Amino acid sequence: MTRTLHLARWNAVLLARNRLALVYAVVLPLLPVLLMLSGTRGDPAVGASSITTVLLVVGLFPVYYNVLSQFVNRRDELVLKRLRAGETRDGELLVSIALPGAVSALAICALVVPLSQLLEQPLPVNPLAYAAGVVLAVIMFTAFAYWTAAWTRSAEAAQLTSMPIILLASLGPLGAALADRSETLSTLLNLTPGGAMSELVRTGWFGFDGPGADTVTLAFADSWAPVMGPLGIMAAWALVAYSLAARSLRWEPRA
Amino acid sequence: MYTTPTPAVQVRGLRRRYAGFEAVRGLDLDVPAGAITALLGTNGAGKTSTLEVIEGLAPASAGEVRVLGLDPIADRAALRARTGVLLQRSGFSGDLTVCETLRQWSGTLTHPRPVDDLLEQFGLADRADVRMLALSGGETRRVDLACTLMGDPELVVLDEPTTGLDPESRRDVWRLIAGLRDHGATVLLTTHYLEEAEALADRLEIMHAGQIVRSGTPTEIAAGHPSTISVRGTVGLPPELGRVVHEHGHTTLHTTTLQETLTDLLLWAREHELALEGLEARSPSLESVFLAIADEPILEGSFA
Repeated sequence: MTRTLHLARWNAVLLARNRLALVYAVVLPLLPVLLMLSGTRGDPAVGASSITTVLLVVGLFPVYYNVLSQFVNRRDELVLKRLRAGETRDGELLVSIALPGAVSALAICALVVPLSQLLEQPLPVNPLAYAAGVVLAVIMFTAFAYWTAAWTRSAEAAQLTSMPIILLASLGPLGAALADRSETLSTLLNLTPGGAMSELVRTGWFGFDGPGADTVTLAFADSWAPVMGPLGIMAAWALVAYSLAARSLRWEPRA
Repeated sequence: MYTTPTPAVQVRGLRRRYAGFEAVRGLDLDVPAGAITALLGTNGAGKTSTLEVIEGLAPASAGEVRVLGLDPIADRAALRARTGVLLQRSGFSGDLTVCETLRQWSGTLTHPRPVDDLLEQFGLADRADVRMLALSGGETRRVDLACTLMGDPELVVLDEPTTGLDPESRRDVWRLIAGLRDHGATVLLTTHYLEEAEALADRLEIMHAGQIVRSGTPTEIAAGHPSTISVRGTVGLPPELGRVVHEHGHTTLHTTTLQETLTDLLLWAREHELALEGLEARSPSLESVFLAIADEPILEGSFA
């Protein structure tokens, strides 16, 4: 544990020294909050879509892309190989690389609660479900990052190899913007990681009851049933990504 | 010299198979405690593949390995705190300074020595605030060695510690390695510099095609190999002196009895009033043994 935190601290130092990575990890995820300034002030429909976007961007940048590029970079530099020849264990290395981005992600997800209240949006109806969703999103995108790293040759290649996951995650929230979508399409989109995150925000934070709803109707007690679906879907994706990553992870650059 | 009866590293019947070929083929090795053992071999002989198993970085395909009496994989936690490993290629984050790199490494160890002591010992004190990417190859290697030795290891495993270093840095590293033995540590290193092995090692293990083919002290290994006497130009030497070879503008005489043959040769030359130009006489060198081994055919299987 001490070793993991110690290594995570140095990973944070390295992250802070890389200007672009720092912007991706800290600044970029806060931008979607600005979406709340559009439309009618305090409209929960606008709030729900901007919080969904925050969660998506938090998952994709400080977590997914950041972990992917840090891991691939350290692997290319043979840093991982060197550390593994010492006392450090594999699990400690994996967690320490993920921690700085995860902390940034959790902090941003906490920060948007008072920020959105400042912009006249409601507080989360079910803060526990929201917190669980955030933690699951971080775990899920970390696992996606390590799986992608398995078939990413270099840090430059990550710009390309990250596209499938970025697209998969963005499908749900993008599809939500479609005016008329069929029942089947909706169901399918809700099964994607981004779709599940969108559903979680709509029901767990804004208390929307049903797909077309745009007013707060659910209370804390009756929000539990509708959040279970999206939480379960995110947990399932996390498991799939984790088992794929565990099977194919490489610690050394390809010869 | 080898006072401890149990070897620090004991390998029996080690095999390592990759997809298409077998890099280590039934290797037996004892590394005596408190001494420097050099694992020598041409590129592809299987040195690094063998070290990886001893270091616990890769599992053996077959065979048994005990390191300080422990299993490198099953007893990982206990063993890693007592061993120091230097890989063939260094790996550091270019954006950290020398001092930060050592502090980072220090935090991963159970019993680290103070970073300042290491900066001093490795002559890195005035480079402490320089980023790793600005270091020379020799300096990077010194930082790497400092990491290897930071935990005061009982067993030190060094994979080509001086490859790519300038002659002065190499001498520094040699002094350091000799110092480790003087403090009671066991050192196992690989090298393809013969003079390095001769200067440094108490014991040599020569690897060829995945097996140990000769072991012993440098003198023991050279013993029994022919000495050579060479003369510039093509000279018709009497065949009864020994085997005569003419190549590269030299005439070379191979003999197992250097002193007698040389005396006979000089007497023969005086008798025939012959000037032997560029006359050289050499005891068997590790180089000649090594070259002879490298030329040996590989007996079983194919080697990709």
